[in-house]
Amino acid sequence: MSTRDLVLSALFAAIIVALGLLPPIMLGFIPVPITAQSMGVMLAGVVLGARRGTIAVLLVLLLAAIGLPVLSGGRGGLAVFAAPTTGFLIGWVFAAFVTGFLSERFVRSSQGAALQTAGFFAAAVAGGVVVLYAFGISYLAVVSGLGFTKAFVGSMAFIPGDLVKAAVTALAGRAVMAGYPLLPARA
Amino acid sequence: MRSLYVEGDSRLHRLSPRIKLILLVTVSLALFLTRSPIVLGGAALAGILIYASLRMGWRQSWLRLRPILLTIAVVALATLILNTAEEGMVVLLRLTTLMLVAAAVTATTPVGSFIEEISSAARPLERIGLVRADDIGLAVGLVIRFVPEVVSRYDILRQAHRARGLKLRPMTVIVPLTIQTLKSADEIAAAIDARGIRGHKPPSRS
Repeated sequence: MSTRDLVLSALFAAIIVALGLLPPIMLGFIPVPITAQSMGVMLAGVVLGARRGTIAVLLVLLLAAIGLPVLSGGRGGLAVFAAPTTGFLIGWVFAAFVTGFLSERFVRSSQGAALQTAGFFAAAVAGGVVVLYAFGISYLAVVSGLGFTKAFVGSMAFIPGDLVKAAVTALAGRAVMAGYPLLPARA
Repeated sequence: MRSLYVEGDSRLHRLSPRIKLILLVTVSLALFLTRSPIVLGGAALAGILIYASLRMGWRQSWLRLRPILLTIAVVALATLILNTAEEGMVVLLRLTTLMLVAAAVTATTPVGSFIEEISSAARPLERIGLVRADDIGLAVGLVIRFVPEVVSRYDILRQAHRARGLKLRPMTVIVPLTIQTLKSADEIAAAIDARGIRGHKPPSRS
């Protein structure tokens, strides 16, 4: 890994941590404030691609595990991995990877803005919603003994919010690509 | 950013981090192997005693656990209502115990010892070329160093919005924040290489 890639991953990890410290941002069209940290995970994949994005997310979880309060709401320490929602934290790693992996394949700098945004949105939904919830719900189902159906229904309430985050991620990812392209090109 | 480590000289403080982590894994496996409410109740009591023995004070002890305890309580309650009362109790006792023991390990192990432990665990992976063990500490240091910088960039962006009478919108904050932050990567990387911090071996893979 080149020093530049290492630094990019570390800087993005710092962005994800900072997004958890900031007050929730209001979107224009819905009255619910969104916590930006989980959006940072999708954004890591969209902006940096699979490898560097995954490392950025791993760094955030590593910082949390060694006792730094880096997760939103000032959570940190090994205890955060004892919650019934830990599957969503573990899922972050795979969400960033899948989002980045698909972004590298869907989006090319030669495409138009609309196509790029659509590609990023598809990648963010696949990684940040489908893969993330697969991990989160499976873990919740096993740890709570609720079973898959009930765990799935209980998690449904959060999916619309995450779809909105995927849309913001896609728009932001497109804008970052236009301003400072970093996504590795894939044939 | 202050770590959750608490200065002290308890028996847990003196135990090596490796032993504490092995104990934590053993405890979590054991907790998931039993379903007996009596055994789990005893374990929870032991967990409370261990956590209380750190003498962090009521307020600090509670504040650290509150968000996690809340999600455990919600899920345990759901299990209690949707399945059986016994299953709800098992979930509550099991996860609460695990949380207490994990929080005790965090409170008694400084960040530096964790990094040493992780780096030495990564040495075998270094031999197969998967990761450079010293990069882990370097990366962790970089993140800690740059979080305040990102936050101050956010403050500047917020003021710029206010000066122009604009509302803060995710797009108008996150995009410039990301671009500005990542643009400094080249400079930082050059500074790291100029100081020879990662050694003089050429990078294995780009």
